[in-house]
Amino acid sequence: MSDVSVVGPAWLDDHRDEVAVVDVRDENSYESVGHVPGAVNVPYEAIRDPTSGTAGHLPTPAEFAGLCAEAGIDEETPIVAYDDGPGVYAARLLLTAAALGHEGELYLLDGGYDDWSDSYETETGPVEGDEAASYDADEPGSPVVGRERVETAVDEDETVLVDTRSAAEYDSAHIPGAVQLGWEDLVADGSLKDREEIRRMLADRGLDADREIVLYCNTARRLSHTYAVLSELGYESVYAYEGSLTDWIREESDDWSPEGLEQQVREYADEGFEALVDAHGDGVLDRLKLIGLYHQKQRGYFMLRTKVPGGNLTAEQARVIGEVADEFATAPEEYGGAEQNAEFGDAYLDITDRQDIQMHWIELEDVPEIWDRYDEVGLTTMQACGNSVRNVVACPVSGLDPEEELDAQSVADRVTERFLGDEHYANLPRKFKVSVTGCHENCARAEINDLGLLPARKDGRVGFNAKIGGGLSDGPRIARDLDLFVEPDQVVDLVEAAADFFIDHGSYLDTAVNRLRFLVAEMGVETVREEIEARASFEFESAGEGLTERYRGDHVGVHEQADGNRYVGLNVPVGRMGGAEFARLADLAEQYGNGEVRVTLNQNAVLPGVAPDEVEQLREDPVVKRYSPDPGPFTRGVLACTGKEYCTYGIINTKNRAVRWARELDEWYEQEYDGPADPDAIRMHLSGCSASCAQPQIADIGLRGEDRRTIEGSEPAVDVGLGGDLGRERFIDWIVGSHPTADLPDAVRRVLDAYAADTEDEPFSVWVEQTPRERLFDLVTDRAESTATPTEADD
Amino acid sequence: MSKGENRTDHLPRSPGVGDDPREHKDTNTPPGKIRFRDLDEAVIEADRCIQCGSCAAACPSDSIGIDEIDGKPTLVKMCTGCSRCWDFCPRSGLRYERVIEETEANREGSTSAYAVRADDDSAREAGQDGGAVTALLAGLLEAGEIDGAVVAREREDEPLRGEAMLATSREELLESGGSIFNQTMQLGEIDRVVGESDLDDPDLALVGTPCVIQGAKALESFGRPGEGSEIALTVALFCTRSFEYDRLTSLLVEHGVEPEAVDHLDVADGKLFAYGESETLLETDVEAFDAAGLPGCEECADFTGRAADIAAGNVASPDDATTFVVRGERGADALDAAASELEIEDLGDDTALRKLAGWNRRKAEETLPREFDPEGDLSIGYEQHRERYDDTDRAPQSHNPARAYQYERWC
Ligand SMILES: Cc1cc2nc3c(=O)[nH]c(=O)nc-3n(C[C@H](O)[C@H](O)[C@H](O)COP(=O)(O)OP(=O)(O)OC[C@H]3O[C@@H](n4cnc5c(N)ncnc54)[C@H](O)[C@@H]3O)c2cc1C
Ligand code: SF4
Ligand code: SF4
Ligand code: SF4
Repeated sequence: MSDVSVVGPAWLDDHRDEVAVVDVRDENSYESVGHVPGAVNVPYEAIRDPTSGTAGHLPTPAEFAGLCAEAGIDEETPIVAYDDGPGVYAARLLLTAAALGHEGELYLLDGGYDDWSDSYETETGPVEGDEAASYDADEPGSPVVGRERVETAVDEDETVLVDTRSAAEYDSAHIPGAVQLGWEDLVADGSLKDREEIRRMLADRGLDADREIVLYCNTARRLSHTYAVLSELGYESVYAYEGSLTDWIREESDDWSPEGLEQQVREYADEGFEALVDAHGDGVLDRLKLIGLYHQKQRGYFMLRTKVPGGNLTAEQARVIGEVADEFATAPEEYGGAEQNAEFGDAYLDITDRQDIQMHWIELEDVPEIWDRYDEVGLTTMQACGNSVRNVVACPVSGLDPEEELDAQSVADRVTERFLGDEHYANLPRKFKVSVTGCHENCARAEINDLGLLPARKDGRVGFNAKIGGGLSDGPRIARDLDLFVEPDQVVDLVEAAADFFIDHGSYLDTAVNRLRFLVAEMGVETVREEIEARASFEFESAGEGLTERYRGDHVGVHEQADGNRYVGLNVPVGRMGGAEFARLADLAEQYGNGEVRVTLNQNAVLPGVAPDEVEQLREDPVVKRYSPDPGPFTRGVLACTGKEYCTYGIINTKNRAVRWARELDEWYEQEYDGPADPDAIRMHLSGCSASCAQPQIADIGLRGEDRRTIEGSEPAVDVGLGGDLGRERFIDWIVGSHPTADLPDAVRRVLDAYAADTEDEPFSVWVEQTPRERLFDLVTDRAESTATPTEADD
Repeated sequence: MSKGENRTDHLPRSPGVGDDPREHKDTNTPPGKIRFRDLDEAVIEADRCIQCGSCAAACPSDSIGIDEIDGKPTLVKMCTGCSRCWDFCPRSGLRYERVIEETEANREGSTSAYAVRADDDSAREAGQDGGAVTALLAGLLEAGEIDGAVVAREREDEPLRGEAMLATSREELLESGGSIFNQTMQLGEIDRVVGESDLDDPDLALVGTPCVIQGAKALESFGRPGEGSEIALTVALFCTRSFEYDRLTSLLVEHGVEPEAVDHLDVADGKLFAYGESETLLETDVEAFDAAGLPGCEECADFTGRAADIAAGNVASPDDATTFVVRGERGADALDAAASELEIEDLGDDTALRKLAGWNRRKAEETLPREFDPEGDLSIGYEQHRERYDDTDRAPQSHNPARAYQYERWC
């Protein structure tokens, strides 16, 4: 391994001609404040790249080689690096060079630029055109090590783990067995303390020069300095753990385990919310997501998410969910109590587009009671959120549909069971979404999941073709074909292998871009396939013949089942219904149906197994009337996420607005719309922000919350997109940005009137595709002079 | 906004300058969509950020925090791309000169200039010049006109580095007297400092450099209903430039001055002074510290903080006094309410003030790659910004993944 020596300004002054001096400060400081004469500038930030496929924060060998070459450095050039002060950043450059196989000597300038400029000359101005060199960097290796090395260190005695952060940080959390040695304790007044004093500190901690030492900190920055110091003092086996401590902790500690969290909630249920936060810090609120508890905007209240794999509930389960919502999802008086929401009151639940059920206003005190009731009927909130394998979605009428190839539900259940409570998979780099479809109609939206399975046939066997890397939110992508056929029994293995691949390659450091789809985009689907195969326990075979015939938008209406009975698809606009009403569905399922209540990816509910001659009677029930299987097209197609009402990200309110719009537009549709094209449903999806929880990209009319700032003030607005169609693997085109919500129903009318006037029978998405953008833009924006009051109240 | 003004919106939006994985996507970007990463590239990476904190104050999801290393805005939570940070950033989407223009047009009452001294010795001692700002705030607190003042103090762990604080008593005001010559993200810190206090829904005075006050005014006038309403009084400190902390301390060291030894700094009459407990450690032309000035300040034409109710500085008044420019009813009422704490004289000759303001404005107009246009559109779109700034030395720089957003909080 390469050693680093620490040198002072006097040494550098003597040896300046023999070494490459590298200034790692930012370009502006280098040029304007000044630098050591002849120094080249490689800004510190340029050598950290948490998004690269390389370990930790290291840049790729090619990136690093490029930077060095440009600075006129080859792999044998001796390097002296410095920064503003004691050298944390400069040491980072040296450690990077060491890890990437630099062969020349490495020196850290003690005291950095500040000490140098105290006594020696400096120069300003841009980099002089040094001759470019060629640089050959290796794949990263020692002294940088990965998690396995730390794991062994925790278990054995020869190696000591050293925490280079402050004592306070160490006290709040550290890797078991680690010794604390804050890098700052090794410096005084911006330069290294007396060497003997440092040796004493090391000896106090039992850190002898012949021991193996693994250093860590939070972001692999501070440890670089300690690395240089130990190396200077003749320590020969010093390694750096590139993963962050957070990463380690999440993997290993109780704080991040679902069981540990559940324990914490039970422990503090009596004392309440503030006591829990006092004891475990605000960070606990982020961790609780892992067990289905999202802290609401309103302090002290939670959204509780119940996962329903494949959307399939027994009547008993549905009743418990309904009752829990009715009893516990009640708003406190200070937030308006039963009147807190003008449209829905309180004590309601939301069916989501991932077949989860969410309720609001849950207090910590009530959670154990809810869990107990859930346990009795086999429901769970574990891993409904957080960076885990999320609720597996599946065709909501599996086992019923006459055209079904496979039972998607049983596959979804097996995947769910495999991952439930598994700590290893509870902390993926980010969330991981799986979808399973068994029918010909692709109703489980494989295209927008991390891993999507669609029915296929190969050599007479029936199984699935896999798609990978789909998703919405920032940087939406349609999943790519993985060219892989799997049998139903191999699905669990496949999901495991894909999750392993994600763990190994997904960056834990840059959370903003580490959904699986970015890896697929970066590495290419072939490489991803190879990587997953290497982790799977079965041999991959190429895709079979796909059996998907069309795309199905929803399950609303009364439909015939394979067994001759009917399933009744109720329409729950924006997915929100009263807890008591949901419990009533359970009664109806027992009375008329097969004892199941299913929830769909359209935020709707299905009652299966109704005898044909009982359908009419069922229709008479008030709940069925209210959530009618024969709604108007807008009410049928409307989807909305939680929105500003509870979500900290939501920019505008969604649910109330969307149902209001749908109602208004349905009236218009019935009375005035005069188009030959007469769809069952017009899909209008309203998302509170670009996280796109309501999936605007796959709607006919996709809307996403915005804020519009003009000289008159700010008003709620939406981005408007048109013509999404998963059946044609097409996302919407975003037509207008930040259009005032006040004009929204009108804008939809204008667009649909134009559509009706233009075409006889073309699907909406085809019409959108063929219509010039400018025209669509004009249709949406052409505001009738004063329908829009300047600021619509954002309720 | 008149109909059709956004007509260019249907054109495809140019991607950011960096190669961001999120740009490889299967749909277009909604026209006009601007995310934090665009602000980051155009302002922060381009080294134009003046750390006013307007972006952080404007972000509806509180996604913007302060980077531990460089003190600049960074993402701490998911960004929804609502564009607000851009819309309220005086170095990108907010045409600050229009904010000033609107503020002046809507202000009732007249403007007067005074030379002001704190009546009380301790305030005069604590203050930078006449201690007038400190005394004014103390008077307002005691008169019950405000419940607290958002000011700045030196951080305990780093000499000369400022941080925002909420002063709710005379003692705290005395503690925070004197000027801080680096920026504190002041506007974005209000929520934090109020949150940490036990004040509930307080009326506040906000002290800051002119850019901070521009942001505050913009939120109040063009924000959501009620936004910014907690600020009952704005006080701007005259300002030609502020400094980048690391560069400032580096240059001090280069001039043989240890930052630890400095009690306070001052910039006056074109000179920069560093004072120790009792002696002057450094007196030099302020140009010697040009390299440490925030490059974004060179685009600022608002020496006298014209959006503020009261602006304070040293130019044009005697050494032991503070120059006050008091504007409109809010300014005049505040001065009245705190009159017992202050010695107030008419300023008399304000030539020096006008000269410096004029010079500052000309310099800014020369530097600004875009036109300086007080009548121009309030909003500057992303494309418009790129048109003017690309290919200049203030062009957007690609986002550096190392500064990336290592946050854990998602929806
Ligand atoms: C960066 C900067 C540059 C300046 N440049 C000039 C100049 O070129 N010409 C000129 O005439 N005057 C300039 N001033 C103003 C001058 O330094 C004094 O602040 C002003 O004269 C008021 O003096 P005082 O004694 O009345 O204020 P004080 O009684 O000292 O009260 C000042 C108040 O402002 C707060 N404060 C100080 N610095 C900051 C800050 N950075 N952000 C937010 N709050 C702060 C303090 O906490 C205190 O409450 C500048 C100020 C700053 C911060
Ligand atoms: S969410 Fe916050 S950071 Fe993102 S664009 Fe909006 S204001 Fe900016
Ligand atoms: S200049 Fe102000 S608003 Fe703009 S990025 Fe910097 S801190 Fe934010
Ligand atoms: S010069 Fe202008 S931009 Fe710079 S700190 Fe002062 S007021 Fe802000």
